[in-house]
Amino acid sequence: MIFFILKRLMQIVPVILGVTLVVFLIMQMVPGDSAVILAGEGASKETVEELREDLGLNKPLHEQYFSYIGNIFQGDLGHSLKNNQPVLEEIMIRLPITMELAFFSILITVVLGLIAGIISAVKPYSFSDIGVMLVALLGISLPSFWLGLLLMYIFSIKLQWLPVAGWDSMAHIVLPAITLGAGGAAIVARMTRSSMLEVVGQDYIRTARAKGLKEHVIIYKHALRNALIPVITVVGLQFGGLLGGTVLVESVFAINGLGRMIVDSIRTRDIPMVQGGVLVASLVFVFVNLLVDTLYRVFNKRIDLN
Amino acid sequence: MNSLMIDKKPLLKVTELKQHFTLKREVVFQAKQVVKAVDGISFELFPGETLSIVGESGCGKSTTGRSILRLDEPTGGDVLFKDESLTKMSKKELRRVRGDIQVIFQDPYASLNPRRTIRQMLDEAMAIQKVLPPNEREARMLELMKHVGLRPEYLERYPHEFSGGQRQRIGIARALAVNPEIIICDEAVSALDVSIRAQILNLLKKLQKDLNLTFLFISHDLSVVRHISDRVMVMYLGKIVEIADKSSLFNNPLHPYTKALLSAIPVTDQTKREDRIILKGDVPSPLNPPVGCRFNTRCPFATDLCRKEEPKLRELESNHSVACHYAEELSS
Amino acid sequence: MSNDVVLEVKNLKTHFISSKGIAKAVDGVDFVLRKGETLGIVGESGCGKSMTSLSILRLIPSPPGKIVDGEVLLNGKNLVTMPNAELRKIRGNRISMIFQEPMTSLNPVIPVGEQIAEALRLHQGLSKKAAWAKSVEMIGLVGIPSPEKRAKQEPFQLSGGMRQRVMIAMALACTPEVLIADEPTTALDVTIQAQILEIMKDLQRKIGMGIIFITHDLGVVAEMCDQVAVMYAGQIVEHQNTAELFKNPLHPYTQGLIGSLPKLYEDQDELQIIEGTVPSPYDYPEGCRFAERCPFARSICSEKQPDLIQYDEESKVRCWKYTNEWQVSLTKELVTT
Repeated sequence: MIFFILKRLMQIVPVILGVTLVVFLIMQMVPGDSAVILAGEGASKETVEELREDLGLNKPLHEQYFSYIGNIFQGDLGHSLKNNQPVLEEIMIRLPITMELAFFSILITVVLGLIAGIISAVKPYSFSDIGVMLVALLGISLPSFWLGLLLMYIFSIKLQWLPVAGWDSMAHIVLPAITLGAGGAAIVARMTRSSMLEVVGQDYIRTARAKGLKEHVIIYKHALRNALIPVITVVGLQFGGLLGGTVLVESVFAINGLGRMIVDSIRTRDIPMVQGGVLVASLVFVFVNLLVDTLYRVFNKRIDLN
Repeated sequence: MNSLMIDKKPLLKVTELKQHFTLKREVVFQAKQVVKAVDGISFELFPGETLSIVGESGCGKSTTGRSILRLDEPTGGDVLFKDESLTKMSKKELRRVRGDIQVIFQDPYASLNPRRTIRQMLDEAMAIQKVLPPNEREARMLELMKHVGLRPEYLERYPHEFSGGQRQRIGIARALAVNPEIIICDEAVSALDVSIRAQILNLLKKLQKDLNLTFLFISHDLSVVRHISDRVMVMYLGKIVEIADKSSLFNNPLHPYTKALLSAIPVTDQTKREDRIILKGDVPSPLNPPVGCRFNTRCPFATDLCRKEEPKLRELESNHSVACHYAEELSS
Repeated sequence: MSNDVVLEVKNLKTHFISSKGIAKAVDGVDFVLRKGETLGIVGESGCGKSMTSLSILRLIPSPPGKIVDGEVLLNGKNLVTMPNAELRKIRGNRISMIFQEPMTSLNPVIPVGEQIAEALRLHQGLSKKAAWAKSVEMIGLVGIPSPEKRAKQEPFQLSGGMRQRVMIAMALACTPEVLIADEPTTALDVTIQAQILEIMKDLQRKIGMGIIFITHDLGVVAEMCDQVAVMYAGQIVEHQNTAELFKNPLHPYTQGLIGSLPKLYEDQDELQIIEGTVPSPYDYPEGCRFAERCPFARSICSEKQPDLIQYDEESKVRCWKYTNEWQVSLTKELVTT
């Protein structure tokens, strides 16, 4: 197990290289010149050139890239082009907010998804099953920004139960977390259902029945633990989508998180901020995946043998 | 048959065949793990005979069949087919020889393409091996169907339309389509119900007689082996422990494992049952087989010698070889 | 004699209802099991032997399976109509089961000791500790070395033979009156099969339960069973004591089955075979279900279905050959020709 974790940690290096390279190249390809945007409208050609020189944007591409990589491994993600703040510092202010949002969203994804999936699977093709699966289908189909606006309209504006936007109290977390977690919950519900139905047809469930166990013991003790194994993988994959989703949700609910920071930086062509943001987001994703795979092995010891 | 065998040249000669599988390592520093599925076995297969390989799961009997045909590349040893080395052949030459050596598997359904009619399947088999020009294939197909006891109109049907026994007949017809000399039957009747199994066994015997075929018959079922074989070879953990004429092996088994194996078979006639030898424990893993004689962990007669030195396969009686240090003492 | 009867199955019918029609998997099965006796149910695939065994504890997958008729009486109480809660007190306690596939019949993520202990806590009200101790004891009883260590392991750490031993330990933990063993050794190698059969016989002597032994292997039947019921196409076609069955099989199907076995102690050129194939359970013929494949069939066989009749005190057979009607039809045919 330790070997497995070490091996996975070593894989992070190529991930960093790949992510930075791709982001770097994309930022070069997007139209718009950071120096021009930074200098502001109506700035003279000389000012722009001076700025370019200062920022090192006139150097050849590969030189820019390699110096950037070199700095990363020293823990320096550069400075924002906009306000010259260290990128790492800026990220560290916003990362906890996004992580908090992600955590509560995943919580909603898992809890809501599992409960719905189990309700469906216990009595397949019943009214409760069909009802739950219809809601799940909606959950998958609705775009999160639309769902966010809808929830905001109902609970904040009409009913006035919850704050419209911002990030100050637990009450602020509720709507964004639901918005972000709903799609995942729907997918987890469907996965749990099909995984449970498969497990319930297994021989060892028949053995458990032959033992005289009550139906709820069979479901929770014998079936669920086995059914969870594929669900863990799905939850892990959901996390990736979730990081993407924060971009939208943070914008809708005006939350000053990492996702919104990246969007704003893209708009101002603040390349170091974009690169830093994406890099950190990717690292988080890699670590979460490692966590999921480790959990998967704990739940399913048999794969250790192969 | 046996007296004839001596002056006949073997059709297939297997020498020191080895099939080791190296397990994938989790990490760079882990010790290499090797499964010795087949570990240096030698035997000969004579024209017209049926040689059976018996043993329990993990003994390497199926792997042996696959290695001979290089379905898995053997890791050591040689296989001569009519004095030609199969292991040294190019892929192209090997394809030609595969027409001479055909295989029938346990699950005929898995080895039949569900989208092809029986006619297409047989036609394709003949086309690949170029056994007959297209205009003569029709007659040959009808002949094949007759050989395996299927109605000619079944040629137009798909595999899913047949029962298990019929599918095995189709498997046999396809093997016969290319006029093979040797047929390797890998657990070919193991999945069939007894009444159907009897039909297929009778068919195989009849075909052998009519077409002068040579069978390498791989099975875990000793009563089937006794029925179909001329000679029998018993394997345990990748090694041959005993090889002999059928009657000699069944009436006078020399290796303690063979004795235990024979006594373990449940028989319908309880009056003929011999005293059962119940072996202790499970077959050890081929990953780290026991040192010395591989059977020593379960053998009731094992001594220190057995735990140290691996016994060689030696001919104790004519056409009866055994790999046991104490075969003489135990048989008297 | 009838005092000894622990389990009685009367006219059991289990049908599978689907869009393809009604498959009569079990179609009127009767038998009794006495205390300490082993009853074998043999037949080829699809004959309904496994479905019969699953129907006893109402473990058939439902839907599409349904027990449509009949009674299963455990000491006189009918299990077919019993409420679920009451039936659960019988499952794993007074009647338990072991299955064919030791590889898949144990829960892969629960230690085997716990899988045994949970039945003990449930049915015998043992404390967690006492149940675990009993579970370890049972694992030792079925001949697994170092039971304390093994009890904590999960199924993938055990060999196939050991898993089947664990299944037996689980089934016998609550000293049941009836053990239903559905092809318990079919997936095992012969030397391991010999071990398992020996353990089962040994424990039967100790516990005294009746065993219903489902198998397709006539050799295993000869080793294990006192009585044998031969099933064909959802029905019992012959019921005899074991020695008699192999010496003097009555039903042409049984005769064919025994004849098609290769003999271990004599040479044969050709095996006896049964021509044709089993009829579809969706569409059984009107008369005797074996008539189409039977070498003795006459006109009456395809016209009317024979009953399972008493042949002598201990034997029953479902065949026209042993009835008066047979003689009548024989003379009729002689007269017309």
